[in-house]
Amino acid sequence: MIDIMANLIWIIVVVIGGALISQSVHFIPVGGAPAAMAQATGIGTGTVQLAAGAGLTGLVSAGYMMSVTDNLPLILASAAVGAMIMIAATMIVGSWVYAYGVGCVPASAKVKYDPLTKYRQDLYVSQGTEGHGLPTVCFVSGVIGAALGGIGGALVYYALMEVGMSVVSTNPNLVAVVTIFSIGIFFVNSVIPSYNIGGTIEGFHDPKFKKWPKAVISSLVASLLCAIVAAIAIGQLSGGL
Amino acid sequence: MEPLVSMGVLALIGVAATIAGASEDLESDIGSQSNPNSQVQLAPQMAYPHRIYNKAISGEPPSNALMCTIGASVAVVLISALGLSPLFALVLGSVIAATVHGTYAMTATMGRCASQRRFKQPVYLDMIRSHTPAIMGYAFITTFCVLIVSYLMVVVLGHPFPMPVMAFIWGITVGAIGSSTGDVHYGAEREFQQFEFGTGLNASNSGNIVRYAESGVRDSFDNSWFCAKFGGPVTGLSFGMTVFLGSWITTIFNPADGLTTGWLSVIAGVILVVIMIIWNWDIEKKAREAFGPYKQDKEEEATA
Repeated sequence: MIDIMANLIWIIVVVIGGALISQSVHFIPVGGAPAAMAQATGIGTGTVQLAAGAGLTGLVSAGYMMSVTDNLPLILASAAVGAMIMIAATMIVGSWVYAYGVGCVPASAKVKYDPLTKYRQDLYVSQGTEGHGLPTVCFVSGVIGAALGGIGGALVYYALMEVGMSVVSTNPNLVAVVTIFSIGIFFVNSVIPSYNIGGTIEGFHDPKFKKWPKAVISSLVASLLCAIVAAIAIGQLSGGL
Repeated sequence: MEPLVSMGVLALIGVAATIAGASEDLESDIGSQSNPNSQVQLAPQMAYPHRIYNKAISGEPPSNALMCTIGASVAVVLISALGLSPLFALVLGSVIAATVHGTYAMTATMGRCASQRRFKQPVYLDMIRSHTPAIMGYAFITTFCVLIVSYLMVVVLGHPFPMPVMAFIWGITVGAIGSSTGDVHYGAEREFQQFEFGTGLNASNSGNIVRYAESGVRDSFDNSWFCAKFGGPVTGLSFGMTVFLGSWITTIFNPADGLTTGWLSVIAGVILVVIMIIWNWDIEKKAREAFGPYKQDKEEEATA
């Protein structure tokens, strides 16, 4: 009980981080298995996998930044940039493969015109498919999603490190325990939006995007439970680390 | 550390990551893992039995994370408990990880093929015997290169994460990247080469994968050979870019030098991302010009 009350502020920060991760997943254009066959718009992999890949890359950047500075905005910004670079590198190479390897035009099946470039989309969708490739709007949406995911992951990591550091000074064992908890909370919150997304989403212009409040509310509840367990476990474990 | 030395280490990390990405993609192509495997799994049910290795152990990120974490944990134990040289420890760790992966690959493909007996899908034992060592070979290269990246980042560049955690994260990332980039070349192009180039996959053709090679029946070696020409190398570039650029911005603008330099590293990262957004827009523009619209505009037709 003492652990929870003493770390209330950090528990709230973890919950906010979890909600950000949940929101971020809705931005990332994932097409799942159909996209891997150029049958749907987006990146050809699963929601959780890609969101976790980007967010955890952000966590690596945040972990490094936190070891040299305690400036929270800089730690969050570096996590956002780490995740953005990962997703941008993945999407640009994905575009190479769609354009040069598969011979598809990036086209969305959810909107008639790309909201950013104003390019016509429906005429470029080939027969029997739900779009293919990554139009500019999907790319930008993915970058925004990665940034939010990176910030969310870094907030969770930062808060749990503060919980641990109130008991012991920073050491590799503490970093290991906190990282594992952060990764766990990241996975929990990137799975929850999958129920909204149902396999494919193109980004913020997709009608499914409007469902995000449901996932975020669920994530708030799930993150609260995770945060309480993490605060107690790290608070108790840290004494022996 | 001297900036020049850290740049050298960074270059080595970038090279190792590029090789890891390429071998990861080829490993998933030869074993047919990840999303394109849905078509390999579907084919016998649509009356197209095949001779393609069918090992979807799990999604690529968890399976690579498992391999890399096993390798890193074994290596760390060998270094700290037995005092082994890091190079030997990394090699031994990778061998054990590749062996574990080989076991999973074999049980996965045998289970999947055997469960499709009712669709007359044979279990080709000779194919399993010949392909599994190649899968293990690719798994070894991927694990070894990811371990090199993790080891250099932790020991030389002084990253605070412990090596197994670092290997776990890079394992997840390399799997996510391989699954998003190179696998599309395998799934959208190689599996459906009998259909017109650039048409995407019409849903009505699902499961109708190419089953015959230039001579005889196509197996997964043929797929790996094809994907090694484009899908594999670009996956390597993607993972290499992620690892290299992510660390490059903090090596050039070291945040340990002060807050301003830290923010400069953030700005440099944002500039890189903006360049990639513009690049993607350029690819989109050129693809639209090169391939043209696939349908007539109904409004235009009506006015004409």
